[in-house]
Amino acid sequence: MSGTDATEVVETRGSAVGDLPGRRRAVVLAVGAVFWTWLLARWAYHNTVVDRVATALGAPNLIRSERGVRQQEPWIPAEPFAQAADAVGSVAATLGPAGVLLDWLRWLLDLIAFGTTTAPGLAAGAYITVYLTVLSMLFGLVIAVPLSVARVYGGRVLRGLSLAYTELVRGTPLLAQLFFLYYGLPLAQLMEGVGFTGEPPIPRSAAAVAVVGFTINSSAYQAEYIRSALESVDPGQLTAARAVGMSKLQGIRHVVLPQGLRFAIPGWTNEFVYLVKYSSLAAFITVPELFRRARNVGSDTFQFTDIYVVVAAFYLALVLTTTIAMGRLEDAVAVPGLGTDARED
Amino acid sequence: MSLLELDGVDKSYGDEAVLHDVGFAMDRGDVEVIVGPSGSGKSTLLRCVNRLTEIDDGAIYLDGEEVHSLDENALRRRVGMVFQSFNLFAHRTARGNITLGLTEVLDLSRAEARSRADDYLARVGLAEQADSYPAELSGGQQQRVGIARALAMDPELLLFDEPTSALDPELIGDVLAVMRDLADEGMTMLCVTHEMGFARSAASTLTFLDGGQVVERGPPEQLFEKPSHDRTRSFLGELTDLNR
Repeated sequence: MSGTDATEVVETRGSAVGDLPGRRRAVVLAVGAVFWTWLLARWAYHNTVVDRVATALGAPNLIRSERGVRQQEPWIPAEPFAQAADAVGSVAATLGPAGVLLDWLRWLLDLIAFGTTTAPGLAAGAYITVYLTVLSMLFGLVIAVPLSVARVYGGRVLRGLSLAYTELVRGTPLLAQLFFLYYGLPLAQLMEGVGFTGEPPIPRSAAAVAVVGFTINSSAYQAEYIRSALESVDPGQLTAARAVGMSKLQGIRHVVLPQGLRFAIPGWTNEFVYLVKYSSLAAFITVPELFRRARNVGSDTFQFTDIYVVVAAFYLALVLTTTIAMGRLEDAVAVPGLGTDARED
Repeated sequence: MSLLELDGVDKSYGDEAVLHDVGFAMDRGDVEVIVGPSGSGKSTLLRCVNRLTEIDDGAIYLDGEEVHSLDENALRRRVGMVFQSFNLFAHRTARGNITLGLTEVLDLSRAEARSRADDYLARVGLAEQADSYPAELSGGQQQRVGIARALAMDPELLLFDEPTSALDPELIGDVLAVMRDLADEGMTMLCVTHEMGFARSAASTLTFLDGGQVVERGPPEQLFEKPSHDRTRSFLGELTDLNR
């Protein structure tokens, strides 16, 4: 393959957002930077880290309010937006049927006013969503690698066990798995000590149970992605490793996996994106993550449509962040000629 | 004692006999070239020597030891192999291709492995390309890295499985030059190749394999000038014409 062809291939790879041309890309990145700065600041504010730092500095009176209260405190006032919405609404009323467009603007301003008061609580939920997802992906990967290696290179028994695990986990609903772990097994009681979140009477370990459930589930899906990636590694690679005297395991570890895992990144990104959204199922085992907080706001205010629009924006931001970050990872570990044009002579 | 000795080697895939009663011996420093039509079992023969393929019957001795009595990894440390399709580790640089075996199999330190790898890259004329990935190298350069990778393990015997067959004609010369140098330095080599020029000038013994059997074996001049079998004459004649 000639040099120019190779660069074209590189440019078409990666995330859709990462491929946007200069100016639009800059806008996306700027919006992302604002969102994440705000989100991280909220997490720091919500967290006991702030309390600890203030106490350590000998100024506990800096702590103005309890954690639970802080999680609801808006930083951006809702009044200006609400007043603007009212103003626009009164103008729209004078225009009669012609005021339809202004009505839309009023709805948008109302939504922003609603968002400023509800977003802080959602930010606290997003924290749980993020760590549920990231921990489950990483733990899942640790399980998925041996599973997929057993599937591709194992003997009859290992292959069978790996296949049985994968099909059992992929063949049953995730929600049913979570219910089984949380209500069916006394896992929540057993893990009481490792709770990260939740206040009584909600078991503190619900989030830990969710991590276990998502880890099991995503390990099976990740194993499938990695298996197909391993199968796409040229068999001559392992032969060459064996021919210099490496054992099969050494060859898999040093030659097949480094290549296969690179091939697996696009599929892995897919699973990551799914899990960001599937993590909302943890709401059904009482974990106060993003979706559960949104649902609670809806129950309190009856503004279900509005809160689901706001929470959708959160999920979208998290998913786009994942896609961009994984595209960066793919570029960072890219090796010339591996993957995109590895099938060339 | 012969360095490598094959005795009555049989190998079949299912009903198809690939090797039948193959036997020969080569001494240290010998360059044995095996020629034969495709499907004659040449590559299988090489793979049996380092046990990438297991034989059905017979015996193979390396320096007097039956290879099946040795640990397969220990055996392959002593017998290097160069592949037709290079099989360089695609995710590692030219240097990284060589150091992997050194650190993982020979337990050299990273620094030792690196300096040894650079020595061998220089020896095959690729000192400049140490940091290039396989996809950034020409076929001829890749094959020379493949040779350096096998050589750096300090093997007693090197197997070449049609090392130039996947190369464009203009790239073959560099690889053959490296192989000639090795032969001159006394490396023991067992080569499957269609390069008749190399066979004629570098081989100490030429073996003609057909239908999984050794048809004729002897000094290259003898097989080229006065072969005792018609099949040898017609095959070598055709190849030599093709090479021109």
